[in-house]
Amino acid sequence: MNVLRNMAILAFLALPLATLLQPDACAAEMKKATSIDELATMYDSSGCKTCHEGIYNEWEQSIHSRSIFGTGRTAATIKTTVSVGLTGWLYSGVKKPEDVQVRHLMICAKCHLPQLAEATDDVAKEIVKNAYIYTDPKASDEARDKAVAQLSKVNIGCLICHQRNAITHKWVDGFPEKDTVYGFKDGPHADAAHPKMKQSRIMDESILCGQCHGLGPNLELENPSQCATLYASYNMAYRAEGGQEKCQECHMKKSKLGHNMQSYRDPGMAKAAVDFKVEALGYQWRDGARMVPQALVKVEMINRAGHGIPDG
Amino acid sequence: MPIPLQLGRGDKMGRGPYEKSGILRDSSLPPNRPVNESFEIPFPAEFAKQDGKDVTTILDHDMTIEVELMYLPFGTKESGQFTWQKVTRKVSIEKGGV
Repeated sequence: MNVLRNMAILAFLALPLATLLQPDACAAEMKKATSIDELATMYDSSGCKTCHEGIYNEWEQSIHSRSIFGTGRTAATIKTTVSVGLTGWLYSGVKKPEDVQVRHLMICAKCHLPQLAEATDDVAKEIVKNAYIYTDPKASDEARDKAVAQLSKVNIGCLICHQRNAITHKWVDGFPEKDTVYGFKDGPHADAAHPKMKQSRIMDESILCGQCHGLGPNLELENPSQCATLYASYNMAYRAEGGQEKCQECHMKKSKLGHNMQSYRDPGMAKAAVDFKVEALGYQWRDGARMVPQALVKVEMINRAGHGIPDG
Repeated sequence: MPIPLQLGRGDKMGRGPYEKSGILRDSSLPPNRPVNESFEIPFPAEFAKQDGKDVTTILDHDMTIEVELMYLPFGTKESGQFTWQKVTRKVSIEKGGV
């Protein structure tokens, strides 16, 4: 009886201990970044370049490497999200740019900078401040360059896909661990900061990309936003109709772009995405007694991508 | 392209991602389904009556047609368009005939 009682006590004590040791609980207790610089350090991928130089160079050419600045349009849209959206809505709690908190900016950051969830509101304010400077026509070139440089420090780097977002079903596969990089194999990893390597079950699955390249409105947010509807199109219009390929097969492998994942801006991707056939015929249409010379142009387009075009 | 519905209600298009929540209509090219378009383009010609009959004078019997598939992610056609595909065709109208 005593043995049973002791086991029960041990189990009772072990449960909260196990909860404390859950990686998500540890992550929640981690110190949050208080500046863009700190957040950049927290997700610094520059060390990956030592061994994966080719891949790193590919990634540097991708839009992922400047996901919060983008081509400039992303930074400008962050500004209008605040100036047109947040400050214009009665119940947002944002009267001026300085009022923006992480929860407000997750409208954009859910995909453009998901690690913002691990930062304080100071980082959200810093991003907004720099987006305003970048779009201010009165800002000096020097100030604008500084803003661009600051916004370009944070991005969808290696550790987003290969750690933070490498596991979608955390109750099934466990929570991503900070000392681990996720890829196709289990084993040691020659990096002091990330000495472990584990298999991610979704590394070559479309759902990895679908976390950001969207289903449509992000209804889990207090005030939903919507950029991309691509993963919805992939599921409902491509896979549902018998399409077999995954995002990585076209955007990384067949295109030979690797980690420089591009879409229409790459000439090869643009060409491969759409069959474009044009036939033209000259003839004279008889409109009563009048002959009317005209050309008939027939265009057939077949989208060979695994999703609607365009989308994002 | 997917034309977003403002705040997921009513009949207005949303513009910024912060106000989009749904699709109003979709003009994108769906995967693996042919989309056909046809265009009729008049040749330059003059039309007149001679002795009570309609007479057509074709000013140019040859036409070069450029067909361009464009994507306009942002801005105007002049500033922001992206040419996806471009095809040139030459078309001729027969000279003479009955």
